[in-house]
Amino acid sequence: MRTTLLLGLSLLSSLILGCPPASNVNPGSPSNPGPATTLPVVTLVDIIPESLGGETNQDSEPFLAAHSDPNVLAASAFTPNPSGASSSTAPIFISLDGGDTWTLNAIVPSAAMTCDITQAFGGTAVNLPRGTLYNGILRNPCSNGTTLRELDTPDIASSAPMAVQNSRDDVDQPFIQVVQFQNKDHIFIGNNDFGGPNGRTATLDLSTDGGSTYQPIRLEKRNTNPSNAPSIRPTVAKDGTVYVAFFGWRSFSGDATSGTATSDIVVVRDDSGGTSVPPFEALKDPSDNVAGRLVATGRTIPWANPWPNPGPLGQERIGSSLSIAVDPNDSKTLYIAWADRSGSDIYTLHLRRSVDRGQTWSGDLRTLSNATNPALAIAENGTAGFLYQQVTGSGGTARWVTHLEQTRDAFAHIKDTVLANTPANEPPMKGLPYLGDYNYLLAAQGEFRGIFSANNKPDPANFPSGMPKYQRHVDLTTRQLLDGSGNPVDVSIDPFYFRVSVLQ
Amino acid sequence: MRKHWIVQASRAVVFCLLVIGVLPPTNGAQDRAALMKQASIIFRGTVKKKGDVSFKGVPKSDRTIVVVVEEVIQKPSAVLLSKGAQVTVDAIDAAALSAGSSFVFYTEGWIYGSGVAVREIGHEAAPVRTAELAEPMRAQLEQTRKEMSDSELRSRLDAADIVVIGQVTAVHPWNPPSLVATRPRISEHAANWQEAVIRVETALKGAPADHEVVVRFPGSWDIAWASTPKLQSGQSGTFILQKDKITGVPRAALAGRPVDAHTALKPGDVLPIGEAQRVRALLRKE
Repeated sequence: MRTTLLLGLSLLSSLILGCPPASNVNPGSPSNPGPATTLPVVTLVDIIPESLGGETNQDSEPFLAAHSDPNVLAASAFTPNPSGASSSTAPIFISLDGGDTWTLNAIVPSAAMTCDITQAFGGTAVNLPRGTLYNGILRNPCSNGTTLRELDTPDIASSAPMAVQNSRDDVDQPFIQVVQFQNKDHIFIGNNDFGGPNGRTATLDLSTDGGSTYQPIRLEKRNTNPSNAPSIRPTVAKDGTVYVAFFGWRSFSGDATSGTATSDIVVVRDDSGGTSVPPFEALKDPSDNVAGRLVATGRTIPWANPWPNPGPLGQERIGSSLSIAVDPNDSKTLYIAWADRSGSDIYTLHLRRSVDRGQTWSGDLRTLSNATNPALAIAENGTAGFLYQQVTGSGGTARWVTHLEQTRDAFAHIKDTVLANTPANEPPMKGLPYLGDYNYLLAAQGEFRGIFSANNKPDPANFPSGMPKYQRHVDLTTRQLLDGSGNPVDVSIDPFYFRVSVLQ
Repeated sequence: MRKHWIVQASRAVVFCLLVIGVLPPTNGAQDRAALMKQASIIFRGTVKKKGDVSFKGVPKSDRTIVVVVEEVIQKPSAVLLSKGAQVTVDAIDAAALSAGSSFVFYTEGWIYGSGVAVREIGHEAAPVRTAELAEPMRAQLEQTRKEMSDSELRSRLDAADIVVIGQVTAVHPWNPPSLVATRPRISEHAANWQEAVIRVETALKGAPADHEVVVRFPGSWDIAWASTPKLQSGQSGTFILQKDKITGVPRAALAGRPVDAHTALKPGDVLPIGEAQRVRALLRKE
């Protein structure tokens, strides 16, 4: 009944508003939607709570974690503690009903907000109805160098701050995955550790004992110049196969605000949950017999982290965009997506696949102009999901379009769901990242669940797959955000959670 | 222990109020000021239910009580909270808060959802004659805010190496030589250091040898630095500066001469020119 109602509402809004239908074939993709023809069911929620309806923060760079209980979710973004800058904790978003409603709980030990944050629930969480949640953060203040903190809590709804399990200075962009092996949580935190020797900074912090201890593993075996890029992305299959993708910068001209890297796209593999001796050397490139398969080499990657002007891609900065996902039930099959610059594009997304444990790779299965924030996931039935955000148009008419593509045949056929289509020039950037250096997608309970950030104006034209559920006050007639007294609230960037049924 | 003492003190205030039906005595006011300094959300309300919560998503416990808000005294601007709202309070000692009784709650935010849940820092009995309390409390709150603001500013003035009134005459990028000599650090969190030259009109503390001062600040708009001062050429202000202990390069060059380099890293390190009088007054009290 609910499914029928949602579909009906979505199609009705499409007819009335002249928007594309809830899920459609991307004009640039193959015309046949593929073996599955039913429209995915889409649920979209602006996760800013009702009681924070007056906020106008730039809540960018969202991330999502799903508990083994499908009702329990934890999300994060660059959302400050509403209590103010003097707060000793930063908040995370919590849902206890599968993402229909969200609350904000300030339990992350970082002053008011973090400088990076990702989180994942442990496999042992089944015994803890609202935990265990593990976080990798860069704690605020960041002014004395970025400090990695690895955290956990047995209950995300408690009022107690998360415990600090481990801490290390001079580290960037912790990106966490957690899988249970032999009844213990194995925690994988990709990070760019500037303490890595000779610029070989690509690192994986591994814990095989639920976070009691962590071991940093250096992943880069080749020379870099000057270092690896910030994105170090692990993915783990149920059989213990672990892949990590990273950029091997071989040269860089420019500086941290503007430059160009020449980079390899590298994948390493470990067949024993990261515990092989030596670790992550199972996959060697035939060109030099060095650990780390080169999926692509010599790519030109623009780095633009500007000041004082906005970023070049719809106000967003660019330079390190990467995602990898292994089939949880078939560790031979994995996808990778990265961004570089091709032709006259500002930024170009590429997507490729391997079906032989990373030894050989396809050519581009998808090539998308002026797109970023790739996030890949593979569902239990093998359906691949690909979330990304793309700028269309230019100047004053530029739009950020957020897509979720699904395929059951390696992107020969695609089911594209446009989750949002919002102005790229509104609201003005308040800092960087504008939408995020990444977003996130995962597969659970027969659904792709994910999160992205976008302009929060409650305008049906901005949400072709159906209006999001807003927890904050909105006036759909005037298409305005409202505070509790009915006064208009400025448009800002909010995190949006979504569920989309997996193609069968 | 301190919070417990505050609750105990509040109980004493309740007793006084019940006996004489007037405002808390001076000691109560002092306690109140201490509570105000810690609290981000202050409201007066009546305990409706104990061992319960006011909205979905808040874990129920013996410590949680539901309070109906009668008056919001202080809250962050983004938080929607008004008279009649039901708030969950994670109480320090729920036994001290009987249903039907009214209190002023000094709290910090806990969970924000369809409603607001707060952690109690302290409470005091609401006055018998509410209207009589409201204005003195507001006045005290304003006074406390001013004191907190002055105290915070004075702390920064104490910590500053120099305080000057002046105008920015130039801004240019600056790279720490150590980073240039070794591997450049390419990170989205890089500070993107800038050097500004300030022409000193009046030195309020730590008179610089020259009439110019070199100030370094992060130009980056990354989330790590977005709230730090961004100096612009032509900008006038009151500058609260520290010697550069961040970049590892404590000296700068000014017209070919070596001088101390300074930094401005916190939002309050650069104040409008109109704040100069307040800064002078606070410095005079030192």
